[in-house]
Amino acid sequence: MGQYTLDNGLRLVTVPASTGQVAAVNLWYGVGSRHEVPGRTGFAHLFEHLMFQGSGNVVKGEHFDVVERLGGEINASTSTDRTNYYETVPEHALDLILWLEADRLSTLREGMTQEVLDNQRDVVKNERRQRYDNQPYGTALERILRLAYPEGHPYHHPTIGSMADLDAADLDYVKSFHKVHYGPDNCVLTVISGLDPEDVLARVKHYFGPIPARESAPEAPDASLSAPLGGPVRDAVTETVPAAGVFAGYRVAPYGTREFDVMHLASAVLGQGQGSRLYRSLVVDRPIAADDGGAAADLLPFRYTDSLLLVNMLSRDGVSGDELEAAMREEIAKLASGITEEELDRARAVLERDHLQSISGPAGLADALGSATQLLGDPELVFTWPERWADITAEEVRSAVERLLVDDNLLIVRFDPETDGEPAGGVPETAAP
Amino acid sequence: MPQTRPDLGAPASYSFPKPQRITVGGGRIVAVDLPGQQLVSLRLVHTRGGAAEPLDAMGVSALTGEVLEDGPEGNSSLAPALERHGAEWMSRVTWDAFITGVDVPVARLNEAVRLFADAVRRPALNADDVVRRRDQLLERFWLEAASASTLAMRSLGGQLFTGRYATPLAGGPVRLADVTPEAVARFHADSLSSVAGTLVIVGDLSGVDLEALGTSVFGDAQAAPAPDTAEPAPPPGELPRVLVVDRPGSVQSALVIAHRAPSRSQVDMPRADGVSEVLGGMFTSRLNMELRERLGYTYGAGSRFDLRRDSGVFLASTQVEADTTAHSITSALEQFAKLRASGVTEEELESVRESNTVGLPVAYSTARAVAGALVDIVVHDLPDDYVDRNRAGYERLTKDDLDSAAVEYLRPDEAVVVVVGDAERLREPLSSIGAGPLEVRSPESLWT
Repeated sequence: MGQYTLDNGLRLVTVPASTGQVAAVNLWYGVGSRHEVPGRTGFAHLFEHLMFQGSGNVVKGEHFDVVERLGGEINASTSTDRTNYYETVPEHALDLILWLEADRLSTLREGMTQEVLDNQRDVVKNERRQRYDNQPYGTALERILRLAYPEGHPYHHPTIGSMADLDAADLDYVKSFHKVHYGPDNCVLTVISGLDPEDVLARVKHYFGPIPARESAPEAPDASLSAPLGGPVRDAVTETVPAAGVFAGYRVAPYGTREFDVMHLASAVLGQGQGSRLYRSLVVDRPIAADDGGAAADLLPFRYTDSLLLVNMLSRDGVSGDELEAAMREEIAKLASGITEEELDRARAVLERDHLQSISGPAGLADALGSATQLLGDPELVFTWPERWADITAEEVRSAVERLLVDDNLLIVRFDPETDGEPAGGVPETAAP
Repeated sequence: MPQTRPDLGAPASYSFPKPQRITVGGGRIVAVDLPGQQLVSLRLVHTRGGAAEPLDAMGVSALTGEVLEDGPEGNSSLAPALERHGAEWMSRVTWDAFITGVDVPVARLNEAVRLFADAVRRPALNADDVVRRRDQLLERFWLEAASASTLAMRSLGGQLFTGRYATPLAGGPVRLADVTPEAVARFHADSLSSVAGTLVIVGDLSGVDLEALGTSVFGDAQAAPAPDTAEPAPPPGELPRVLVVDRPGSVQSALVIAHRAPSRSQVDMPRADGVSEVLGGMFTSRLNMELRERLGYTYGAGSRFDLRRDSGVFLASTQVEADTTAHSITSALEQFAKLRASGVTEEELESVRESNTVGLPVAYSTARAVAGALVDIVVHDLPDDYVDRNRAGYERLTKDDLDSAAVEYLRPDEAVVVVVGDAERLREPLSSIGAGPLEVRSPESLWT
């Protein structure tokens, strides 16, 4: 592995690819929806879209055009904590990709117009409709975050933002956002390829070296939590859903801490895989929950504030939301009585398998390296991550569960289907499919 | 100041890895060694899928695929056993194949394969487990179909085919209920336990004894040919036409424009896939550029072929803001018509040609992807160098090839436009778009 820092602050990580003739490039910028201020929710993500709309020397859509012509893969994503841009291409195209990325980093502001802003705003609003508003349970995450973090907290709102805030985005703000957050000093660039690390470094220096660092780094909004959750807190909604859905959440420690790893194991014991407790108990034995293949629990990782342990199940026909919720909470509570070595071993194996799967291709490996470097300052962690679970004991998991998976720390979002004679607001009463 | 744009150098030449083939007993192994790839992908391919099911046991393959997860001990015991070895079970039923497999770290391959072989050849198939899985599948149908795009895709079969394809692969919300534990046992005995199949293995295989793996997986099962096929007839009804599947309150409409296509073996792949890519296979394709990047009606639009052993489907799909539904359909159909009338541009030709030739190292950069290509080769009985031959086909592609393919393979006049959305809001605007007669149905009425 090669690790370098350019004079302008850009951090570069290089790792050899395990199959030939391919180069994966991944840029993690340290900006996400946690940097958004009230009235500007959804902006970091809308901005990510605008990064494909042209810069000083690149026209609208050209990033996609170039990479698709190469049979490559290209996309980007935004979370609370970062925004990443990535391409996997045949190795001979590495220079062109580096140039494209460097161009939008240094000259995006020159390519930005009101027309592309308006177009991408419409696209993002349709993304919101497709993923949130037109999906059963689609607003669950938004509701969970609203309960989990207080008003004004930078994790109170989802990355997609609100329709009203998206409408308010203007061109000046786009340009200032780029200036404030997009600098080489706020970027980790990862390159997976068959090339010599020094060769990669020379190319990266050539394209990114001349780009100046930001004049100053903005302060991120305060993400500390002054008070415990004060649970159980609850949001109940009746709408057109095919079955009752229960989403339970608990605050746990930030990503990168040992307590996070402990609770990651707890979530696997509870709800990852068909050997997990919730699957055995509520899908197979009783069975009152819909078969999700063993995917009922996981952590929602946040680096700069408490993460969330989330548990989600849907009810079977004829099972009420109340019955399912009671059974889930009972099963969660039982964890505090202790877990077996066998359960812990299975949980470790499941998490290790998922980790290996995620880094088994060049794109996933590059993303994991960018994450470890940007969030935790150490790319080597990617290759040793499963060791973090090795010395965590069953008692350590039990004791963390006893402290954290309690009603005081619980939020519940409940979806219940409309029944006849009880229409939800605004929607005409009709038989729901 | 930014640097000047670099020239793209010449790509290195690429060949798909040549698989090693060995025969063990009644079965065949197709293996590719990828040194350094510690996660092995193993797939067992049986070439009978949903299309071969009898009409009184529709969904038996999908249900059996689920019940295998109950393992030799029954009661959902397989997955936990594999999970302890860090292995992940997969099973996938398609119209043409029944595929099972595991992804597992190479250090634990032998243990995982032993469990895998028992799971496929000697499952318990307890009646209780079968009934539990069947009831779950039946309920899951509507859970999944609560998503507009899923409902739209599942509505297609009955619009384009009679016979087995008119009912969704997993048996739909009604007919699956007729599949008994005895039918599952019969299907398993006839199509899985007694049929050796072909084993695909990809990963770092240094130190792996393929012969022993084959013995473990095939046992004394025998080879069996793929089933005979006959092209199913279309259902009655005028074409083109519009079917609105009512989803009250929908803020977006899910659209699928679909028509019949020739079968996998009849289709000239580079020409057909090439023209689909121009219309909707890529981000920069015409449908996405028009509906997303120009009009802002959608988060994305695309098209593809769904080709089977005996027949095929071509479809374009998107989800659009409800009030733009009618204009989205006419705009999409205009794109079909324009491509048929004027053909592709030189730029598009070049894009299709390049993306399917120089991009192969990207397409096959994981064990899973290489295994996927080999499974395709096995299911459709293609030569081992199929990937390279296909690439050569793209290298030869001309503008005339794509222009004639647009006329041959895009048939908007024979299309059914399926719209899942709010019927009350859509009926009026959709009645005058010139895409044929309009019918409104409730989702429940589609499958009986």
